[in-house]
Amino acid sequence: MQLKSRLLAGLAALMLAGPAAADGIERAAIVMPGSISDNGWNQAGFEGLTKAGEALGFEAAFSESVHQPEQIEVLSDYARRGYDLVIGHGGEFQDAVERVAARFPETMFMVNNGLGTKANIANADFYFSQIAYLMGYVAGSMSDTGTIGIIAAQQFKFTTDTVAGYEAGAKAANPEVRVLVTWTGDWDDIAKGKEAALNQISQGADVVWPTMDSATLGSMQAVQEKGVYGIGIYRDAISEWPEILQSAILDVRGNMRSYLELAAAGKLEGALYRADMGNELAMRIGSFHPDIPLGVVDEVNKLIEAMKSGTLVVNPQ
Amino acid sequence: MIDLVLLGDVLAGTARLGTPIAFAALGGVIAERGGLYNIGLEGQILAGALGAAAGSFATGSAMIGLGCGIICGLLSGLLLGYMSIRLRINQLVGGIALNLLLAGLTAFLSRQIFGAQAGGARVNGFSQIDIPYLSDLPVVGPSLFAQDPLFYLLIGLAIAAWFWLMKSHKGLDLRAVGENPKAADLAGVPVFRMQYLAIAVSGALAALAGAHLVLSQVYVFAEGMSAGKGFIALAAIILGRWSPIGAICAALFFGFCDAVQFKLQFTSPEIPYQLFLILPYLASLIALVVLGAKASAPASVGLPYDREHR
Repeated sequence: MQLKSRLLAGLAALMLAGPAAADGIERAAIVMPGSISDNGWNQAGFEGLTKAGEALGFEAAFSESVHQPEQIEVLSDYARRGYDLVIGHGGEFQDAVERVAARFPETMFMVNNGLGTKANIANADFYFSQIAYLMGYVAGSMSDTGTIGIIAAQQFKFTTDTVAGYEAGAKAANPEVRVLVTWTGDWDDIAKGKEAALNQISQGADVVWPTMDSATLGSMQAVQEKGVYGIGIYRDAISEWPEILQSAILDVRGNMRSYLELAAAGKLEGALYRADMGNELAMRIGSFHPDIPLGVVDEVNKLIEAMKSGTLVVNPQ
Repeated sequence: MIDLVLLGDVLAGTARLGTPIAFAALGGVIAERGGLYNIGLEGQILAGALGAAAGSFATGSAMIGLGCGIICGLLSGLLLGYMSIRLRINQLVGGIALNLLLAGLTAFLSRQIFGAQAGGARVNGFSQIDIPYLSDLPVVGPSLFAQDPLFYLLIGLAIAAWFWLMKSHKGLDLRAVGENPKAADLAGVPVFRMQYLAIAVSGALAALAGAHLVLSQVYVFAEGMSAGKGFIALAAIILGRWSPIGAICAALFFGFCDAVQFKLQFTSPEIPYQLFLILPYLASLIALVVLGAKASAPASVGLPYDREHR
């Protein structure tokens, strides 16, 4: 794959002598850390770009399962080949994008869940703790044991903000609640995902929120076997798992669509585009489980209104 | 009382997390005893997982899925055997090539087979079997005697492999091939046939690890679900000193470390979780340093045998 893309890069350099058109993008590429069929983060990134490309009329390319050592090479390849917008899909691309962006000032770069902007580096992320607060509130309200759990892979802004928001929301519903946090160190190890959930359940957790990629499948398997509740992430997961109380829909596709529309109009800048509960295209909650009492549903809807109006500020922002 | 519950949890977790590593390690032992490195265990786990998922998905039968997984493992083992025995290419390179091939191929095929459902297509699997009376024992009952059928198969295969390798005539032949293929050849042992047999069985055992992940644990195939278990199995082979029983004990020890670290995260939340995550690897490093000096690999492992060469 590397060799082929290098050959292509050479051909493209011959054909495309000048820099890209100033307004609007013609070609955009996304570089992802995992597989485009993971039912999660990477699939969302892939579909977000390709569907927007079809709708907005630009050419979309992708590279999947690109690991840390290959990031710079793959990102530079796209820049050399004259792509107007190159997206690093995940905060782990920040360092590589910064190095490549310095060498290609004509190219616009975007880091999804990025950690810093420059003239030609934009970031897009979510107000993670806000939606995690709502999930925590639902979990805390529905727990009979007073113990709930959250499982994450690695510590960084997305996961730490999510854990903090989840804890705060759960405490708002039930000040006595105990929140178990498990770090698995692996986004895709299904066996570990299951083991982590089984451990939380045996510690008394009756609501578990797995926030990994493929490994989430393992955790949900444990939730189903043990007959407890789960919380979904990225999409309205109750359609796949009937045990899901509520889902934190971080619609990467919607968030990407928002900034890709700007890019197609030539208005994308080196700024942070953060989706909050006010941007329903990008961030919203899913369907409520039928077991959830109407009172809790009303409370959650009130919390959302308070977030939109700014009277409820969840930290960290 | 709480400690007993905790102990039972850890034992059950050890069995769940250790079983796939143990299958792969057992496969590695058989291959290395026959003089062949099987670095392709990681890829073969994926092949077995995909075969099991596809077979069960197509027919709805977990047994047929298991059969498909084993066939995928046999084929991948024979491919590695062809590279190592017939083409005599470097066995480490061949194994790595096989891993890369199977990682990509299983990802590609799973998208062909499961289509848009990839990663979420549920298949039928095995449910746990409670062994009468034994499963009622306190602590060990629910954790060790209420497992899935593949766990019991592992125990049976471990004992069978040990008996075959150490006590049977054919097992002696295989060990002779791994120690000194020339001498074995002169004594009339069909060296290449024994090696093909060993590497095919090795692939099938690694495939059982993948089948266990799919049919007993999560009932779906996901790309890269082997998640490094094939490499940890390589360490278990050395730690178990090339003995079937030893390798399985080592694999279960790794599973135990992983199971314990999940418990420690609850009891000591103030300690950085990364320390617990390295526990299995740290334990294996220490064990290898302490025990490794005395361990001796089969003398001819990794050296391609050439009848024409003296």
